Amino acid sequence: MEVVNPRSALLSNYEVLALLRELDSDHLAKTKTALRIKKEEEQSGKPTPNATAIEEEICENLRTVEVEALQYLTAEYQPIAAQSDAGITKLVKDIEPYGFTKAEKLQIVNLAPTEPVELYVIVEELEDRLGERMEEVLSHVRASLDPNALPASTAEGSSNGADPNPADPAALQVEEKITTEVYEAETWIQDTNYIEWDDGGEGAGVEGDLEMDEE
Amino acid sequence: MFQLSIIKDTLPILPAAFALPPEQALTAAINKKYANRVLHDVGLCIAVFDLVSASEGRVRYGDGCLWYKVTFRMVVFRPFAGEVLLARVKSSDEDGIRLTLGFFDDMYVPPAYLPQPSAFDPNERAHFWLADAGPEQGTHELLDSPVAARMYIDKGEVVRVRVEMDEFYDDEPGPPKASEGVRVEREQRRPPYTVTCSIAEQGLGPTSWWKAAEAVLEGEGEEMDQG
Repeated sequence: MEVVNPRSALLSNYEVLALLRELDSDHLAKTKTALRIKKEEEQSGKPTPNATAIEEEICENLRTVEVEALQYLTAEYQPIAAQSDAGITKLVKDIEPYGFTKAEKLQIVNLAPTEPVELYVIVEELEDRLGERMEEVLSHVRASLDPNALPASTAEGSSNGADPNPADPAALQVEEKITTEVYEAETWIQDTNYIEWDDGGEGAGVEGDLEMDEE
Repeated sequence: MFQLSIIKDTLPILPAAFALPPEQALTAAINKKYANRVLHDVGLCIAVFDLVSASEGRVRYGDGCLWYKVTFRMVVFRPFAGEVLLARVKSSDEDGIRLTLGFFDDMYVPPAYLPQPSAFDPNERAHFWLADAGPEQGTHELLDSPVAARMYIDKGEVVRVRVEMDEFYDDEPGPPKASEGVRVEREQRRPPYTVTCSIAEQGLGPTSWWKAAEAVLEGEGEEMDQG
């Protein structure tokens, strides 16, 4: 093995996602064909000689990294759900005149900053370089995102967590799970406290605490 | 975060795969060898991007394989220094925070790169940041602070981090020495690729902090305008 060029180009998350999706659908199609051939074999009762040749061995390592990377890239805190080919091409053209470096542009595409504080961590000396034009950059980013998919991506991490967005039931389910888990943990802690304090003969104060927590 | 690396290698194709078109068989062979593997000083390989060139397959004496000299482009995970990433908190302990991206979880935030002043709460098993405290306060004073004022970095939270540096270790054990006899002693092996991140900066850390902070700032601004 010889590494000719360790970094010939940088890829955006969106490009990697597109490649992984392609691999994933290829894999699914192959599994389906394999299954279909198997079924046909069973029905006809005689093994087809070609079946084993078509059935390509599945590479475990590739599947692992592919599925895990897909999960990371499509997580609800990534802006990728709202991005599109055309949107990104336009965004890159729009932010051309601001004099960003290549790395900064890549990160603007990857993270799609819509808040000043998000842009602040990506671009060095943001105020000196952009000044008043910062808001223009943010509006370019907002324009590049698909507004229909936006609520799901911007609602992430909000402290109240209640996002009545029917478009993303999976995310909602996850949130519900988290809250129930937290609730269970809390009651457990309260229970242990209660027993401890009851032994010490100071139950009254704890009851008061419990009432506070329940409110 | 991801990059393309050009790599050259000589690979065998087993006779079982001769029925496939060569480029397909080669891609499968490369993925089998490289996917989810850390290459020293290159990064974590994800998948083949495309093939650049390949020689004619040659049969060597001794096996029935076709050997191809192939140059290909690989998608590699290797965030550059200074890059900002989104990650989840995997676990926390006294030595810092461990982060995960799902497919890669050897990412660490050492205590020095936590927002100051911060301390580790052994009861909650989480680090917290006390934004209002002065820098001269010690760990004991920080732990005496009211819980409501602490900003915890909890497990599972999404954090924005800046990559500070990355390190590769090649800890392959050498062949066992005859004089040592058979020892079943395994020393702790370092992960082959670790990324050190920082959240000690404005705008970094749990994304919820900055969402909340922004709302407060805007609220204050409106109040001041009204006043």
